[in-house]
Amino acid sequence: MMPSIAQLAMATGFILILIGFYGALTQRNLLRMIVAFTLSGTGVNIVIVAIGYMHGRTAPILDATVNAADAVSRVIDPVPQALVLTAIVIGLGVTALMLAYALKLHEQRRSLDIAKFTELKW
Amino acid sequence: MVSPLYLIVLALAAAFLLGLLNPERRGRAYAVTLVALAGMTLISADWLWAFTMEGIDPVDVYTAGAEPPFAINLRMGLAEAALTLLVNLTGLLSALYLKDVLLAGGRRTMAVLLISVMALVGIILTRDLFNLFVFFELVVISSAGLVLLANDKDGGPASGLSLSAGFKYLIVSQFISAFLLLGIIFAYHATGTLNIDGMANASLGLATGGTIAFFLMFMAIVAELKPFPANGWALDIYESAHPAFSAIFSAATGAAALYAVDKLLLIGGAEWLPIATGIGIVTFIAANLFALPQTHDRRLLGYSSIAQTGLVLVVLGQRDLLGDSTPFIAFGLLISHAVAKAGLFWLSGLLKNRQLADWAALRQRPLLVFAFVTFTAMLTGLPPFPGFYAKWELVHQLAGAGQFTLLGLILLGALIEAGYLFRWFGYLMKREAPVETVPCTGHKVGPVLVAVAAGWALAYLWGDLAGGLFGRDNLLLALPLLFALSFLLLDWLPAWIKNSLAIAGMVAFFLLTWGEYDPLRLIFAIIFLIGGALTLLASYSVHGRRIGFYPAAMLMYAGMVMLIRATTSFDFFAAWELLTVGSYFLILRGKHSEPHALSYILFSLGGAFLILAGFALAAAGAPQFDLASLAQVAAPAAPWVFVLLAVGFMTKTAAIGLHIWLPGAHAEAETDVSPMVSGILLKAGLYGMMVLLLAMGKQQLYGVELTHVLLWIAALTALIGNLMAVFQEDAKRLLAYSSIGQMGYALFGLALMNHLGWLMALVFVINHYIYKSMLFLAVGGVAKRTGTREMYKMGGLIRLMPLSFIAVLIGIIAVSGVPPLSGFGGRWVFYNAIMSAEYRLPMVVLFMAGPIAFLYLFRLIYTIFLGQLKDELRRVKEAPFWIVLPQMIYVALLLVFAVVPGLALRHVDAYLNQFFPEGGLHWGGGTIISDYGYWNPVAIMIIVGVIFTTVFALLLIVNRKAQMVKQFNIVFSAERPFRPETTHYAWNFYAPYRKAMGFLTQPFVTRFWDTLADLLHTAGDLGRRLYDGNGQSYGFHFLAFVVIVFFVGGI
Amino acid sequence: MIKRFIALTLLLAIGGLFASLLLGYTPDSELNQTARYYAERTSPDIGAANIVTAIIVTYRGLDTLGEVTVLFLSAAIVGLVLALGGKSGKTGRGTVPVGELLTTGTRYLAPLIMLLGVYVFVNGHLTPGGGFQGGAILASGVLLLLLADPLKRFSHVLIATIESFAGLLYVLIGLFGLVLAGGFLDNRFLPTGELGALFSAGAIPLIYSLIGLKVGAEFASMLASLSESETS
Repeated sequence: MMPSIAQLAMATGFILILIGFYGALTQRNLLRMIVAFTLSGTGVNIVIVAIGYMHGRTAPILDATVNAADAVSRVIDPVPQALVLTAIVIGLGVTALMLAYALKLHEQRRSLDIAKFTELKW
Repeated sequence: MVSPLYLIVLALAAAFLLGLLNPERRGRAYAVTLVALAGMTLISADWLWAFTMEGIDPVDVYTAGAEPPFAINLRMGLAEAALTLLVNLTGLLSALYLKDVLLAGGRRTMAVLLISVMALVGIILTRDLFNLFVFFELVVISSAGLVLLANDKDGGPASGLSLSAGFKYLIVSQFISAFLLLGIIFAYHATGTLNIDGMANASLGLATGGTIAFFLMFMAIVAELKPFPANGWALDIYESAHPAFSAIFSAATGAAALYAVDKLLLIGGAEWLPIATGIGIVTFIAANLFALPQTHDRRLLGYSSIAQTGLVLVVLGQRDLLGDSTPFIAFGLLISHAVAKAGLFWLSGLLKNRQLADWAALRQRPLLVFAFVTFTAMLTGLPPFPGFYAKWELVHQLAGAGQFTLLGLILLGALIEAGYLFRWFGYLMKREAPVETVPCTGHKVGPVLVAVAAGWALAYLWGDLAGGLFGRDNLLLALPLLFALSFLLLDWLPAWIKNSLAIAGMVAFFLLTWGEYDPLRLIFAIIFLIGGALTLLASYSVHGRRIGFYPAAMLMYAGMVMLIRATTSFDFFAAWELLTVGSYFLILRGKHSEPHALSYILFSLGGAFLILAGFALAAAGAPQFDLASLAQVAAPAAPWVFVLLAVGFMTKTAAIGLHIWLPGAHAEAETDVSPMVSGILLKAGLYGMMVLLLAMGKQQLYGVELTHVLLWIAALTALIGNLMAVFQEDAKRLLAYSSIGQMGYALFGLALMNHLGWLMALVFVINHYIYKSMLFLAVGGVAKRTGTREMYKMGGLIRLMPLSFIAVLIGIIAVSGVPPLSGFGGRWVFYNAIMSAEYRLPMVVLFMAGPIAFLYLFRLIYTIFLGQLKDELRRVKEAPFWIVLPQMIYVALLLVFAVVPGLALRHVDAYLNQFFPEGGLHWGGGTIISDYGYWNPVAIMIIVGVIFTTVFALLLIVNRKAQMVKQFNIVFSAERPFRPETTHYAWNFYAPYRKAMGFLTQPFVTRFWDTLADLLHTAGDLGRRLYDGNGQSYGFHFLAFVVIVFFVGGI
Repeated sequence: MIKRFIALTLLLAIGGLFASLLLGYTPDSELNQTARYYAERTSPDIGAANIVTAIIVTYRGLDTLGEVTVLFLSAAIVGLVLALGGKSGKTGRGTVPVGELLTTGTRYLAPLIMLLGVYVFVNGHLTPGGGFQGGAILASGVLLLLLADPLKRFSHVLIATIESFAGLLYVLIGLFGLVLAGGFLDNRFLPTGELGALFSAGAIPLIYSLIGLKVGAEFASMLASLSESETS
């Protein structure tokens, strides 16, 4: 059986997450780590959206083509769509924050190497 | 009551309102912040009141006019009310504490603080999984922001340290939120709902992919509890953040995250409980172990926070087993931890330097020291605080269900934690204080004091709750304890007034209650109360206010009185812990007693934990039992109960192997404290042994008669104790080792398990109290006058301190057990007891210990009072009146007890008949008759008197031409001694004996315990290197944590 | 090297987890109970044509409030972080002169972009789009202005006022729902109107407009903070 489009999307999302994680674990540059996290965040979002996808249905907006009466059988699951919006926004907030931290760390230390910030330990 | 939604609304509205205020008018913004937090606190308090006092049912709040699971709902119940109150109050107090920082930081900082508190409240209230995620993210972001409030030493803005700590936190939180989101979306897919209760009903685990979805969520939420090893980031935050934020992070965030885990476990169901337990216990042990080598105060507190959270997780994981008492235990531990940790973090903000030893600066303010003591006691679960009740229940239920490994691990971790906390307190009391003044600004000290008040209020509340649940009396209503605590309030009075009050109180309590004791207990009551009052006479010699002495001393006496009055295992154990803590504070007062007090408290707490485990094992699931019913413990458990309790009690009697704390603790204590902790405190252990042996009698473990083992331990204790005493140069250490030996005798008598053995033990109890108190006072008085305790530095003091000389002379005659004094009575009963017992070999050992005692006793009188007077001691005066007076009373007592021993013993002898009907004594007039002979004290007194006067007169006649030798009439054989003291006749007095028997005095035991402590330290030091400070490593740790739990948990 | 190896091993295990999730996944053929409720009830109860919007603004309004707060928080903390003291001795390397094309383009485009943003959030309940999308578009207008003139300064007081005012109103509207309608953030204290009309779905357009303003203001604030720290 051919994998459905939802499964393909989901697989893509998982792979993106893993790539992002790998980058975050191995790249020592703060900015690259942030980029890696955005990647994994995108992967998560793709997985969320893929979960809501249903074959042969349309977007959950009532209009001329989808009227309120038969919406149940015509639209895809709207919940993941709502969740993914929240997830995106929160991811954005965290990314902005990390960038600001990285900027300030660089300003103070002239370095973007995560291994240089190890005064706190043990 | 207003809707719980207003908790969220209020915070958000205030946070947004701040943006509309004039940025320069910061005072106004600060006022808005405080009002909002205060309002939130009031709302929570109102709900808590309604749940506890009016007993209303939990309330579900729907949003958006739709029912769950279609819209988000919140729930307010008892747990939620209590937790939100904790969160809001912590937030409010921290905001007060942060006054300067917030005013400097401006309205944005205040908004972040408000939102952080709001998000924690949200985590607690929400019943929607995704909403939980949103609130968690808010907590993460606001925490990362609040970390930056850290002030450097000069109070300036954040250092790079807190910035990097915040960044590391964000790194880990990125991993965490990815897992959480994936878990949530798959759980949604499996169950078609996001509602927590809905998901719990839909049995997520059964759906396809449900288990893994739950696993991902669970790992993500548990990671917020900072489990080992995924917790390096949290430690960095604790170390670098502002203490007021750390207070929130530890107390409030920890509580909220625990509650979130609790909700998740609702979804996961019973099969996830063991995993929670496993994560919790590993975290608890590891964090405590890693805390051992810590010297940075806030990082230490961080480790301790992590450990405590782990412990609560264990409780949550055992909820199937703990049943209805889960909330009582979990909240007891959580609230103790939260209040104490918040208080300690706030305290740390008052100090400039970050090393543990720098806390010595706190000594300037006794009130803050009291706060520290309160917090430490709460964390270590000492009575009367909630943690104590929780610990009791937890251990009992675990033992009842046969979870011995978990039980042992919990107690081990708790002991390690007590170790570093009490070590810290030792630093605080004893280390050199850095030159800094501890600021006493109201907004910073206020929160600390609120925490102290909350701690005591909770102690009362938990006592009350335990009363309702298990039918006990509230510890905080026990008269002796109240009496002791009242001295905290009276501490501003001069010492002599407090001393009089203490003596009056103890005597009055005895007069009120003496009719209630059986003869056995009466002896102990007399020693503890009247004897205690007598030793307190010596305390009149100390002037000034003597802050801290009376609360500690009275706590110890209160504990001892409660011990003999206890009828249930719970009361007994509570009393045991109280007397332990009180005596610890007393011992710690000595000038150089820091390490000794630490080893004392560790051995005592270790012993106490064994007793606790023993009681729990004996209770077999019941919350407590009558001490008398120890006799009914059934076969497989009984010998183990016996072993646990016996070893526990023997830590107090300093049996061989467990004795290493005693010499230092007794020798370094203050002059009037030594007799208390030696003459009186040691009897508590003997009392425990008596209770145990009376109830359980002879027990066999793997075919070994346990009382036989006790006999051997006792005999060896007597032998080694005496041997060690022989080779001491320090007079007080000599007496201390002698106490070990004496306790060996008493233990031996008890272990004989026959009539005369017990009688002998009781004679020893009385005698040892009298002569050891007397000798410690006498030697203490001499040491006070001469400024040294080394005996070879003294000599010839007989003319200068005649009264002390008499006391020591009488004392050593009594100790050595030669006629005519009471010691002989003890020996006589003892020899009779031996005749009637079956074990010969340990008796031989004990016999050998007798003559050894002569060696050291002789030394006391000879090197201190006889021989040449040292030049520098020519101006020494007799000891102070108040130190001599009790000695003279003791001399009189010894004589009376020597002439009419029947006064006390006759009743005990009769009483013992009900337990050991065989082999009692016959009391005929002035003569006492046993199966093997008779003893007439009066006759012996007369005979000895006659012999003594005859010999003395003869000596005088023979020696009438003797010449006095001048002090410097000695020759060094043209040799200049390298160390002058080596030429003193009293130095290394028993060198030949040392050659012969010294091998027995090698400090094997000390070495053993030292090695153990070293091993723990090394393990902790190696383990904590896992946290190498690299943010990426923390990411690795989190992923490794997930993978390990996956494979170990078998998911 | 060993680090990469450990990373790969760990990720292999995690990947295994993901794989079992993927293999265990079967797409739904019918809407589950929650989704079915939304599909059926949104139009009669809420009056919004865009079901996702109804979920975001009303049913899961508390999430959205939290979301807005996340942005508010991020903006505030970014401001705090960038305002921190430290070795900020660095002076701007001077700015590269901005091209004629950009400045001119900006002059015409910025108002249009802003207008588009407003359109997107005002119509959030009818079309794909809404407050967050609209806010982001507003902010991209601001970004364009900043690109055209890196030294341009926005009034922080104005931005703060907009974001705080919008936030406060948002909370107040939520309270109206609590007091006048069925619960916190219930949109039905205003008439739900006719499905598909601009003035319909109760308070949703109002809330989404406020969100749009607030999100725009917060992004603008972050951008402004960042640009100031870059050149100061």
